Amino acid sequence: MEILRTENLTKKFGGLTAVSGVNFRLEQDEIQSIIGPNGAGKSTLFKLINGEQKPTHGRIWFQGEEITGVEQHLVSRRGIATSYQITNIFPKLTTFENVRLSVQSRKTPYNLWSKAARDDGTNEKAEEILGQIGLANRRESLAAYLSYGEQRHLEIGIALGTDPVLLLLDEPTSGLSPVETKATVELIREVARGLSVILVEHKMKVVMDLSDKITVLHEGKVIAQGNPQEIRANETVRRVYLGGVRE
Amino acid sequence: MGWITNRSVLMIIVVLLIIPILMPYEALGTQMIIWGLLALGYNILYGYTGLLSFGHAAYFGLGAYATGIILIRTHCSLLAGISAGVLVACIGAVVIGFLCLRRRGIYFALLTLAFAQMLYFTASIWESLTGGEPGLRNIPQPPLELPGLFSINIYTPLRFYYFVFGFVVLSLLILNRILESPFGKVLQGIRENEKRARALGYNTNRIKWLSFILSGAFSGLAGALHTLYISFVGLEQLYWETSGKILLMALLGGPGTFFGPFIGAGVFLYLEDIISAFTTYWMIVLGPIFVLCVMFFPQGIWGTIREFTERFSGSPPRKG
Repeated sequence: MEILRTENLTKKFGGLTAVSGVNFRLEQDEIQSIIGPNGAGKSTLFKLINGEQKPTHGRIWFQGEEITGVEQHLVSRRGIATSYQITNIFPKLTTFENVRLSVQSRKTPYNLWSKAARDDGTNEKAEEILGQIGLANRRESLAAYLSYGEQRHLEIGIALGTDPVLLLLDEPTSGLSPVETKATVELIREVARGLSVILVEHKMKVVMDLSDKITVLHEGKVIAQGNPQEIRANETVRRVYLGGVRE
Repeated sequence: MGWITNRSVLMIIVVLLIIPILMPYEALGTQMIIWGLLALGYNILYGYTGLLSFGHAAYFGLGAYATGIILIRTHCSLLAGISAGVLVACIGAVVIGFLCLRRRGIYFALLTLAFAQMLYFTASIWESLTGGEPGLRNIPQPPLELPGLFSINIYTPLRFYYFVFGFVVLSLLILNRILESPFGKVLQGIRENEKRARALGYNTNRIKWLSFILSGAFSGLAGALHTLYISFVGLEQLYWETSGKILLMALLGGPGTFFGPFIGAGVFLYLEDIISAFTTYWMIVLGPIFVLCVMFFPQGIWGTIREFTERFSGSPPRKG
């Protein structure tokens, strides 16, 4: 079943076309990667999908409903969550509070009277996610004091807290050591059970390991789509992107 | 984090209860808790939501003038007068907040300042309503009464202190509750990272607006009480210096902490009182104290004390 579709999606910044006529399709429970050189438009595509930016042209459907131009906080409420490339956490809140705040976002924010500390199920869910991302023992640390690798996991944990249908992962392993990368790949594999994922990633091993399907962007345009074997064999892709990359 | 914050609401109530004994004269205590309430209301916006308003004199002044004017014109009851002050401050915050929140950062701060100054000039020109430059005088001081049940004159220094004390305690309890609620947590999330809060599905614009209104309401309450306290509204209550004073109190005590601004207000007024007894140039003495505080204790008095106790108890920072 199709979960996300874009039609002729285009984003221009002045004279620059960051995303150009992208037709993209994601099936339910699929992990699809978007690869391409720097400046290919990957992050912009994410921003168009999660509502952070409005497309210049084109349309987006999510779960059969059009979400083109829907405000970011409402896109989130429909079930699209983003984990950011540049760590985007709440630095002076505790690790637990970071995740709790995310889980709480599915309820009304205009609850001024009940105690957050004794909320209904929110805390349990947050604890569960902390366990999942391996940060249960850092529960009370301020997020700012976590190691970089831990912050990367917290970043994913915050995205998971909103109980998404579709998870956008923007370079989840960027800056991580090989050992940390391996742990993160395992984490992604685990959390991807029962939800759909779009992954932007530069490490080809991670991409090949995780993806059901790969879309290659170059200068804002889709130049190839297919499963990992097909992409590996694709001449154009080898030339513009994979050529210099060792696996 | 041990005893100090878990019981801090209770602790501060006990301290407030005996303040009139500790102060050189009761009226200073009254002034302290009124300004404390004002700084506390300000801190919802500044310390918790991360929005630097430089125009909180507006809501303090609106509350003060509204209470004064309605008491003069209608001779209504005490509580009706106070309610009018809170209501008008609220309406002011609804409108001004809506407009100022279109912009962020320094532009937001400048807009709040501009609106407060507009109110200041409006009040200075509209003499028939506000009394203009000399201020609003001869404001009746109605007794605290329930018709047919009791009627008490509260306008002795000590009685009025405890009258204000009642409002302050109630406000402390309500604010503590709000800031520990899911809504309060979202405010802190917005302060820490508004973009991420929005990405999580929070309508941050509307939440910031609500925070602005709440902040205005408590500031208005402080204004209303201040009017009853001196039976007068001075034009300078709307002036930008008042806004600066509120910000200084919050900074001195520790923004982002619950009690900090309250303590900041107390210390500010106490120092002002002592130093101005020696010299009319008390600001020259107070100025360097602020500079030193901001340089060496950027977390403010309460923030520094909290950090200290945390270091001893070894637990991470939580609330208070």
